[in-house]
Amino acid sequence: MTAAAGGPALPGVDTVDPTAGQSPGRDRSPTAGLQTVMGLARVEALLLVRSLLILAGLLAGGAVVWLAIRSAEPLWWNVDWRIGLGQVVLGMTVLVVAQLAASRARRNAMTDLYASFPTTAGIRTVAQLAGLLGAVPASLVLVGATTAVVQSRGAIGTPSFAVLAGGLLLVLAAGAAGIAMGTKFSHPLVGTLGAVLLFLSSGNSHLPWAAGLWLYPWASFGDQLGSLPGPLAGYPPAGAHALELAGLAAFAGVVALATAMTRGRTRGLLAAGIIAVATICLAGALQLRPIPTADLNHLVTEVADPGSAQRCTTASQVRYCLYPGFGSLLPSLKAPTNAVLAHVPARARPADSLTVRQVAGLSLPDSTLTHGHPDRQVSQWDAQANRSPANRTSNSANVPPASTVYLPVGSWPAAGGPLADAHFDLALAAAEWAVRIPSQAIDSLPPQASGGPSRKVTLACVPLDQAREAIAIWLAIIATHPSAGALTGVEGRGGLTGVKVSDLVAVKVGSSLVPTDIWAYPGSNTTAVTGPGHGPQATVAGYLLAKAMASLPEQKVARLLTDGWPRWLNWHSTDAELAAALGIPMPSVHAGLSQPGTPVEPVCTA
Amino acid sequence: MDEMTANVSTAAVRADGLSRRYGATRALGGVDLGLERGITGLLGPNGAGKTTLLSILATVNEPDTGNVSVFGLDPRDAAERVEIRRRLGYLPQELGYHRHFTVAGFLGYVAILKEITDRRRRAEEVAKVLAAVGLEARARTRIRALSGGMRQRLGIAQALLGQPALLILDEPTAGLDPEQRLRFRELLSELPGNPVIVLSTHQADDIAAICPQVVVLLQGQVRFAGTPAELAAAAAGHVWTAAERHPSAHVSWRGGDGRWRHIGDSPPAGAEPVAPTVEDGYLLLSHAAGTR
Repeated sequence: MTAAAGGPALPGVDTVDPTAGQSPGRDRSPTAGLQTVMGLARVEALLLVRSLLILAGLLAGGAVVWLAIRSAEPLWWNVDWRIGLGQVVLGMTVLVVAQLAASRARRNAMTDLYASFPTTAGIRTVAQLAGLLGAVPASLVLVGATTAVVQSRGAIGTPSFAVLAGGLLLVLAAGAAGIAMGTKFSHPLVGTLGAVLLFLSSGNSHLPWAAGLWLYPWASFGDQLGSLPGPLAGYPPAGAHALELAGLAAFAGVVALATAMTRGRTRGLLAAGIIAVATICLAGALQLRPIPTADLNHLVTEVADPGSAQRCTTASQVRYCLYPGFGSLLPSLKAPTNAVLAHVPARARPADSLTVRQVAGLSLPDSTLTHGHPDRQVSQWDAQANRSPANRTSNSANVPPASTVYLPVGSWPAAGGPLADAHFDLALAAAEWAVRIPSQAIDSLPPQASGGPSRKVTLACVPLDQAREAIAIWLAIIATHPSAGALTGVEGRGGLTGVKVSDLVAVKVGSSLVPTDIWAYPGSNTTAVTGPGHGPQATVAGYLLAKAMASLPEQKVARLLTDGWPRWLNWHSTDAELAAALGIPMPSVHAGLSQPGTPVEPVCTA
Repeated sequence: MDEMTANVSTAAVRADGLSRRYGATRALGGVDLGLERGITGLLGPNGAGKTTLLSILATVNEPDTGNVSVFGLDPRDAAERVEIRRRLGYLPQELGYHRHFTVAGFLGYVAILKEITDRRRRAEEVAKVLAAVGLEARARTRIRALSGGMRQRLGIAQALLGQPALLILDEPTAGLDPEQRLRFRELLSELPGNPVIVLSTHQADDIAAICPQVVVLLQGQVRFAGTPAELAAAAAGHVWTAAERHPSAHVSWRGGDGRWRHIGDSPPAGAEPVAPTVEDGYLLLSHAAGTR
């Protein structure tokens, strides 16, 4: 040892050996760098696996997916895209954790120590990027758990590998972005800000062209996947989107490496960056391609004319017409229908058989669907789609037959409570058909103030004081056996006198107001079933009488009906007559409250 | 000077004319240094450039001018810099920790960063350094739960990983209690392989106890290099005790026995000269350099 000044020199060593001081135990093999990367990546992956934040993200992501699919029909072509929404939430937490990990050394004042290691910042960054594989189990758990739930609810269709892979790539891209942020910024809020940006980007498109929706990391709203009768290739463009996410992940990785590496290998990084950007651009262009005309023609035809695409099965004088792939619904449709019809002898049923038919709604124009096609073509599709039975409310001239019950695609719920509700809904529709309550009546509207002739319109009719209405409701009750608490009506809210005027729904029939729809039955808040036709408006009187009938022994009511179906199917037979025949008092119903401007509704007289 | 240059040029670790500025502040001003195998203590007041010098030797920092050679390797060359780091154990002065790591987890992580990739070998290394610093029982404890002294021992442990040939410890005894300091001295003196060890400290008694060599760095320059005995001897005839404080003394303090200990140019009449210590020599040098 020596000093420039101020002290005596120290004895030195005789020779300097360049290999001197090599420490034992260190990997000197040619694969040392790879071994180090793998070792560090394993640690980083384990940190991700054990991260409570990522566990929270997984749970939150699962909750988001559940909220998105719980009341929807388990259609895989919709569900797999919704899983991606959960992956967005998971990706947010992965981004935060990755940013924290990448900035760990600086945030913990360990930069100098890390700089003294033979492992460079570039190698550490490569390891952290590789360590993102630790987020894969959480992503797969989300997919697996959702798959289990969806399959248990009777899934329709099969999941798209491209969509599911895209969700996984989204998580990895979010993590890579977090690492890129962390190599530059050590403040923990930077990751949080990145996560918020990721969340905001999952909303509606703010790009000038609508198909730009798919360019966002994960578009979660504004599509019609949940009501399509089947998967539509290119909607969303899953493969190209997965490619875009892979490109984004690669680009973020390149940015992270470029930030971490202070020198060397810039040419390789530049090349990788160019390839990543080119991949993103290519994927973007692919996603903006219009959906082929032939595919949209096929979709619109399926929607406008369901019969052209459906297969029908007849069982117990009921035709069930379903889109391809929906055959698994058949048992759950047959059960409530058959249970109703079992109480109505064939001689008492209408001559026309009942048809239960799926319908699909398509809302056009929707530029995410029809972008790139001429306006004239889109208008034609719009007009064609409007002829769909599902869109009939917007086209009163399109009167569906009264012997058809429609099942909008996407609204037939899955197993569990909602399915029981839908069963009641279908049973009620089948019972209304069985007792021949017409769904609507043609009525005349007076000439408009500006002059011109009177117009014929289709309105839902009211089975005012008709015994067959109570019978229909009773049939639905005994066919599906809803729980005692499932049927709540006016009495559950203290009777009519306890109901606020604003709660009352009443229709004006002739000169009197008839309380309707003031009772809640299973499925009354859903649209699992529509029909027959518009469906009659149930009256409070009919509901109360049906409940009273349900409290009687089933055999007693059945015997009365068997002995006199012709009488009870006659619309002139009143509620009071039915009550008297059963020996029960007629429930009293408030006469109704006057509400200004209430339109006049027709009575069901057929 | 020729002898000194020759010694520097053949030392295991050497620095030639190192200078480093941080803006207008000169941290190092032409430091020549040669380090041999064994323990070298680096003494100096705050701001003397100790940490800058050590960080340059650890290849963490680069000098503005001057050269460094470690075992004949030049840190300016990327490949040779990595080779130096493969031989290095470094404890920075201010070291944070990944507080959510366990003690063993952190050491395992650092071991990988030191390219100890074989799992079994890594586990052995971790166990060995944990035992060396007396933290075996805390292997599974989260770092956030450790006391300040335990964290310092953990910092020493990570520096020891891989049996480094060059061990650079910047104030390693800060935060250690007397017993731990004794154990630390024992640990350093028993390290296998006869590594080059540089430790900076404010504790002159640590230097006296374990360092065969000592370097005093003042105002960015080496003011002394030699043995602790030589440093103490530099103050011979300049240290005395007296019943009263003497105004001409450069440094004075009252001892536990109530008598004043003085360091100055020469003892006044009636004063009782005493044998100087390493600390006396260091204080005298500091005064001469105008840092006190």
